[in-house]
Amino acid sequence: MTGATNGHLREITRRTALGALGAGIIGATVASWPRLSGTDIPGRGDNSLSIAIMGTAADAAARQRAIDAFTRLHPEIKVKVQAIQAVDWKDFFTKILTMVAAGTPPDVVYVATEGAQLFAEKLAHPLDEYVRRDAADMAEFFDDVHPSLVEAFMYKGSLYQLPMDWNAANMYYNTTAFAQAGLERPADDWTHVDFRNSLAAMRKARTSDFTPYYWTNRLFGGVVPWLYANDTSFLKETRSAGGEWLWDGFYANDPSRGLRSGGYQWLEPNANDDRVFESFDYLRGLVKDGLGVRPEEGGGSSLVGLFASNRIGTTPAGGYWVQGLHEAGMGESDFDVQFFPRWKTQRHQFGTAGYAIMKTAKDKDAAWEWIKFSSSREAMELIFPNPITTPARRSMVNEQLYAGKGPAHWKVFYDTLDRFPTSGPIPAPPQQAAVETALMKNVSLAVSGDERQLKQALASMQRDLELALRRQS
Amino acid sequence: MTTTTDHGLAGHSPRLSEGLPETASNRRRFNWNFAFRIVLLLLAAALTLGPVLWTLSTSLRSPSESFKLPPSFIPWNPDFTSYGEVFQQLNIFLLVLNSALVTGLIAVGQMVSAALAGYAFAHLKFRGRGALFSIVLATMMVPVQVTIVPVFMLIRGMGLSDTLLALILPAIPTAFGTFLMRQYFMGLPAELAEAASIDGASPWRTFRSVYAPLAMPGMAIVGILAFNFHWNEFFRPLILTISEQNFTLPLGLVSLQGNLGTGSISVVLAGVVLSMIPALVVFMFGQRALQDGLTAGTGK
Amino acid sequence: MSTTTRRPAGQSGKGAAGKAMPAATAGRNATAKSRQGQRWLAWIFLAPTILGMGLFTLIPIVASVVLAFFRWDIISAPTFVGFDNFSEVVQDPTVRVSFLNTILFVVVAVALQLGLALALAIMVQEKMPSWLRVFFRSAFFFPLILSAASVSIFMRYLFNEQFGVVNWFLSLVGIPAVPWLTTPGGSAAVVILVYVWQNFGFSFLLFIGGLASIPVETYEAAAIDGATGWRKHLHVTLPLLSPTTLVASVMAIISALQVFDQPYVLTRGGPGDSTRTAVMVIFESAFQRLEFGQASAIGVLLTLIIMAITAAQFRLSKRFVFYQ
Repeated sequence: MTGATNGHLREITRRTALGALGAGIIGATVASWPRLSGTDIPGRGDNSLSIAIMGTAADAAARQRAIDAFTRLHPEIKVKVQAIQAVDWKDFFTKILTMVAAGTPPDVVYVATEGAQLFAEKLAHPLDEYVRRDAADMAEFFDDVHPSLVEAFMYKGSLYQLPMDWNAANMYYNTTAFAQAGLERPADDWTHVDFRNSLAAMRKARTSDFTPYYWTNRLFGGVVPWLYANDTSFLKETRSAGGEWLWDGFYANDPSRGLRSGGYQWLEPNANDDRVFESFDYLRGLVKDGLGVRPEEGGGSSLVGLFASNRIGTTPAGGYWVQGLHEAGMGESDFDVQFFPRWKTQRHQFGTAGYAIMKTAKDKDAAWEWIKFSSSREAMELIFPNPITTPARRSMVNEQLYAGKGPAHWKVFYDTLDRFPTSGPIPAPPQQAAVETALMKNVSLAVSGDERQLKQALASMQRDLELALRRQS
Repeated sequence: MTTTTDHGLAGHSPRLSEGLPETASNRRRFNWNFAFRIVLLLLAAALTLGPVLWTLSTSLRSPSESFKLPPSFIPWNPDFTSYGEVFQQLNIFLLVLNSALVTGLIAVGQMVSAALAGYAFAHLKFRGRGALFSIVLATMMVPVQVTIVPVFMLIRGMGLSDTLLALILPAIPTAFGTFLMRQYFMGLPAELAEAASIDGASPWRTFRSVYAPLAMPGMAIVGILAFNFHWNEFFRPLILTISEQNFTLPLGLVSLQGNLGTGSISVVLAGVVLSMIPALVVFMFGQRALQDGLTAGTGK
Repeated sequence: MSTTTRRPAGQSGKGAAGKAMPAATAGRNATAKSRQGQRWLAWIFLAPTILGMGLFTLIPIVASVVLAFFRWDIISAPTFVGFDNFSEVVQDPTVRVSFLNTILFVVVAVALQLGLALALAIMVQEKMPSWLRVFFRSAFFFPLILSAASVSIFMRYLFNEQFGVVNWFLSLVGIPAVPWLTTPGGSAAVVILVYVWQNFGFSFLLFIGGLASIPVETYEAAAIDGATGWRKHLHVTLPLLSPTTLVASVMAIISALQVFDQPYVLTRGGPGDSTRTAVMVIFESAFQRLEFGQASAIGVLLTLIIMAITAAQFRLSKRFVFYQ
């Protein structure tokens, strides 16, 4: 008897417990519904101007002061910044394309050179009419910005973005390592031979736990600077006609006016060029003789830490590195920066970035107001308080920006454009993703084997690039 | 959550924690054999746990110390700055909340749906049972990457793009869970059902009062396996979530590596360590259930 | 997979012999009714799983096959291209290499994983104090609870050529720095090692379960026949474990064929195409280049290959697997 009642009781308590558990789960689901359906994300599904930038929530928050200033100017436009995390630009564009595919594209996207033509060809709306309309405001901007940066955003005669920040591939060097090897600061016009000798001296001075030359295998800071310095590239570079409206309108008196065009075009592969072989062979020699590391794929997240802990002699990077080195504990005199070494030319490679308006944007006029405001000196100072990148405005690359952080020769950053006006953007046609993959996957093979492997890798690069350029997107 | 201890899976031998029987010979030659074996096993254990210990100790060093060689595996002077940095760079609480919501709801959904389906396949007779079960099993062979594009379009059609629900709903139907629950129900004595039907109980009653009360341990295994798998899942969140607010932990970690690789190694590893903590808790409490669940697949 | 249900001792399994006739007729009527009831209940119980699978697996599979005959970038309307996607995919050197890589990866990683797991399982199950056994089992099981993404993140640092801990240890025994992540062979080895490091525990547990179910008497009989030490394992353990080995290998192969996280985080498929796997190529063509038709075509080919391999395994198992 008692057993039966006991069982009965147990049955009841078990049922109550299960019921409570079930109710709890349902309750929790209902309570967290806004999180589950994403409706708690501010500005979701409303008609505010959505701006996608690459970065973290912290980067989005950093723009808040600029947004507040914009809202004071245009109370009628609601702005929301969406920070999208990515390992590199290609990764970021993948995310944007995914948003387009998901039917939730942003109105404005912060796009770097790597994606400028992809967007111009498929997704972005040209700025020509707006630039012409607001010529007065724009004249002040263009006066302060080097035309090379602007030309990187020209595509088939139209302008698609205004450069906001940029970086050239200069050469960072560790002053301690240079001093230990008995080296002076290199001359402005040092050559690739001088560079190699400096590496050898550093290698002699420190035999272990040290790499004289470290580089990552991305479009930026990888092999391209060495190709540009040798007056070649892995794609045949041509220019399209047009763009006079811009150059005559804003850069009529610029000494490099004659160089300007309707934009870059990269239509053919060029990996079988002799000078490409020569540049690669030079890098292969550095690797073979233990002066440089083999390039890695998938980002070099260890680079800042290695450089800051005095394990690297030199590495190509732009102004975006200063803040990172400062935070990793490098003093302002522990490192310095110099132009990239000269070979046949001293043409530098740079990358730049700015906002593009999407074709699908609901309110393009509002989007333009945001872009125009962002290009103002006031907004740029709010957005770039630290040297996490090089501002596009010449007047902002000043003593104040680098105070207490270094490098001593920060002038090198903007002088790169003024001294070498032929400097060009990273080669990135609309088929950027396929092209970048074709380049990167063959670079490491090319520089880390014997001459036969180098020839094979370049042949395979040529073939992959041909396939890549034949693709539609 | 109760974990199974005494009530294992179908035909589970209680000898798990005992070893193989010893024979007269290895008792005699114990010393060398035994010592050699233990050394080998210790080496294997060191190789298995070493990288994790190194990660922990490196995360407790300042960024400039992070590349120190020789490596240290025990953090003597812990420095927690990297952890603070992780909290600055990532909204860890939100990531954990998202991961918990996603894995929790998937686990509950899988437990319930797999228990019901598993019971139907094990104890209910209907036409096409075998064929249907084969189809369910066959879906295990299709990589998620193959169906991701149409799933992506379905999600878009439902208006769920870039939401956590996009991660949860498609993961609820589970082939492996259904298979496990079927095994489990088949392992329960058949007499229970026979007795119930002789007493004239309806199929529903048989399930409710005879089998359902016994289903908990099996369901716990399905739940813990689902938790472990989806907590660590990387590919689907990579495609189906875009906003940082909807990231789960693994995605947040990979993004710690920084834009253009500017992340600091100590900070990245601190993030890795933080993400291990919930998994460790599950490991402590659900280890036995997990092990049973994983070994349940081998019908014996 | 044979399942035997053990009857609790002392139950005969027949209904109690007391109720004779009336219960039997009632039983028959009830049976007919209960069949009907069972059918209904079965469909109700199956509904969530079957509907869910239909919506999120079966329809997408069909859709993938259809999509494989179109060119579509989502931005513009899809165009029908017949078998073009397939012919392009089959000729694409990257796709070819990635499929070969995947096969090679599966062969090497699965062989390593199963061999290691089996050896360790046998060693752990041999005589030792039980706390030690529990420690080893937990240690080998531990990597399973980590996410492949975070494992790949810290392994990248461990395998760094200049400053990685792995090369530092190798340098102690006089081996010069191995270029792990920067050469095709090295990075393939890293991806395999990292994958096996994380997944061998799964097979290990399966083998532990299999070993535990081998009856003690078998070993005693073998010992009388003079089979001891490693011979004991060769003649008794391996044949009796074969069902477990089959399950472990099917599961290991299916999961190795779908490897993505490790190469994606460790090497992004490089250098060259040396660590690009089939599912990575699907991901790249779909979400980096928006070539959804081509991605589907690659997916269809991969699924066919997986099904063929699995079918072949079960066909082979009929010959080699020994059931008690």
